[in-house]
Amino acid sequence: MDILSTEHLKIGYEEKIIVHDLNIQIQSGKITTIIGPNGCGKSTLLKTLARIHKAKEGFVYLEGEQIHKIPTKKIAQRMAVLPQSPEAPSGLTIFDLASYGRSPHQKGFARLTEKDKEVINWALDVTGLTELKNQEVDTLSGGQRQRAWIAMAIAQETNLLLLDEPTTYLDMAHQLEVLQLLKKLNEEEGRTIVMVIHDLNHAARFSDHMIAMKSGKLIKEGTAEEVMTEEVLKEVFQIDAVVVKDPRTNKPACLSYELLKNQEKKELILAK
Amino acid sequence: MKINTKQRKLVKILSIMVLLVILLLLISLNLGVVKISPMNVFQTLIGNGTPKDQFVLLELRLPRMVLAILIGAGLAVSGSILQAISKNDLAEPGIIGINAGAGFAVVLFIFTFQGTMTGLSALGIWLLPIFAFLGALTAAALIYILAWKKGINPIRLVLVGIGVNSGFGAAITIMQIKMNPQDFMKAAVWLSGDIWGTNWNFVIAILPWFILLIPYAIWKSHTLNILSLGDQLAIGLGTSVERERLKVLLVAVAIAGFCVAAGGGISFLGLVAPHIARKIMGPKHQLILPVAAIIGSFILLLSDAIGQNLLSPTQISVGIVVAIISAPYFIYLLMKTN
Repeated sequence: MDILSTEHLKIGYEEKIIVHDLNIQIQSGKITTIIGPNGCGKSTLLKTLARIHKAKEGFVYLEGEQIHKIPTKKIAQRMAVLPQSPEAPSGLTIFDLASYGRSPHQKGFARLTEKDKEVINWALDVTGLTELKNQEVDTLSGGQRQRAWIAMAIAQETNLLLLDEPTTYLDMAHQLEVLQLLKKLNEEEGRTIVMVIHDLNHAARFSDHMIAMKSGKLIKEGTAEEVMTEEVLKEVFQIDAVVVKDPRTNKPACLSYELLKNQEKKELILAK
Repeated sequence: MKINTKQRKLVKILSIMVLLVILLLLISLNLGVVKISPMNVFQTLIGNGTPKDQFVLLELRLPRMVLAILIGAGLAVSGSILQAISKNDLAEPGIIGINAGAGFAVVLFIFTFQGTMTGLSALGIWLLPIFAFLGALTAAALIYILAWKKGINPIRLVLVGIGVNSGFGAAITIMQIKMNPQDFMKAAVWLSGDIWGTNWNFVIAILPWFILLIPYAIWKSHTLNILSLGDQLAIGLGTSVERERLKVLLVAVAIAGFCVAAGGGISFLGLVAPHIARKIMGPKHQLILPVAAIIGSFILLLSDAIGQNLLSPTQISVGIVVAIISAPYFIYLLMKTN
């Protein structure tokens, strides 16, 4: 069964409709990335999947159940969400931040049980932060900070993880580090990961399934080989790209690209 | 483990502060227009005092100090909550107009039902806190509605709050103009912060609310921690954000209302006490709230002692002393915030 799916989803802010009639399925145990140009509605879609934003019409299903009928705390036991560039209150330690991930499993005063501590320590271990756990989040580098947030998200012990641009503002090495961590969580623990990502080559390299969107519509979905084609990139990003096979990963990669000339843009519109 | 060291730190800080409060309490019992020696204070406390000493200490000074402790703790807790849910270190019931709303209700109540600012009837003592609460609630509702734009933007909240504050301030001034000179003075002193209902009845009238609300606020510490991460993360962690925010906001507003009923418009305390507590204890509300409360009590007790005795027999209202002590800190905060 699909772990997450949408049916005739229509999303918008007030009068402005951003996503029209969207039907997508997210498969369990896979890494799915959503790509598309700025303003195409990919972040809004992720927020709607995460029940942070309410859909105007249509439904989001979490394991077959309509998501807005499930109590929000119960959802948090099954799905963790990491929004774009989250901010921690100053002075918060990494351990405390990760401990907040236990929130959906706690009541009232939130005293940590032995089980909670075990999970938190495991999350810090997986993200390589055990040594730093008493450090304050604001003193960390961008990459460490993002790992701390991921530690919080995985301490929620959910099968499903939704991340909005987890690599934004990170340098190349730290981007890879974060993505490899997510890949590890996916491979070793079978966690389902859905993320919005800007770097196409990273998307192609790390996803089992890609969803390409433009102006709130699904343009193409499938494996990296199916989505990362010159044709799809032309339509989605209006770029003339050279797509090659990365000799190291055997995944498609965009080697270089040019903007489409106006003539080609017109042809593209006419062809549709 | 870090957690244990923090708990130990909490116990340590609380013990020191409680000792300081008790010390200050004993010192201020000695001070005042009527001088009573420490020995006589001690004799009176164990029940061997002269009737005059008993009256001054137990019926005048002690209830006043108990009120100072309650109000100080209350304003600190209220400020801590407002700062957490607005994610703004400058939020405080005095600055964002909640105190002014309560003050307006109190002046309106006294002016229409009592006709004078000089005394309170027995029924008035019980009704006054409720009125103050309703006034605070009105102000909070106004701020919430005016600042709401697809959620609460922290800076917008404070700006709207400042506007609401001056609005209620103006309304109070209109009422003051219609008062006789004596009431006008009384109202002016009270609005700048004055512990006025200094008798046990008043303590009994507001104590139950504090016993109920402050522990509830501390019980909600974890919710405050999660809310201070921002709406999206809080939802992701399974919090019903709007409902929980409303609950803690109501608690903050209620506490502020009762504080105003007893102490008038004391500003800055709700800002400074939580801030110092955060500096010492870090960002977790399980640790901030108790420490902020005791720091609030200490500052108010100290300010009241100074106000009562510095220019004795002339009294400076406690709110002014608090402001003089806290304003530099507030300016420092403003300069640090960009």
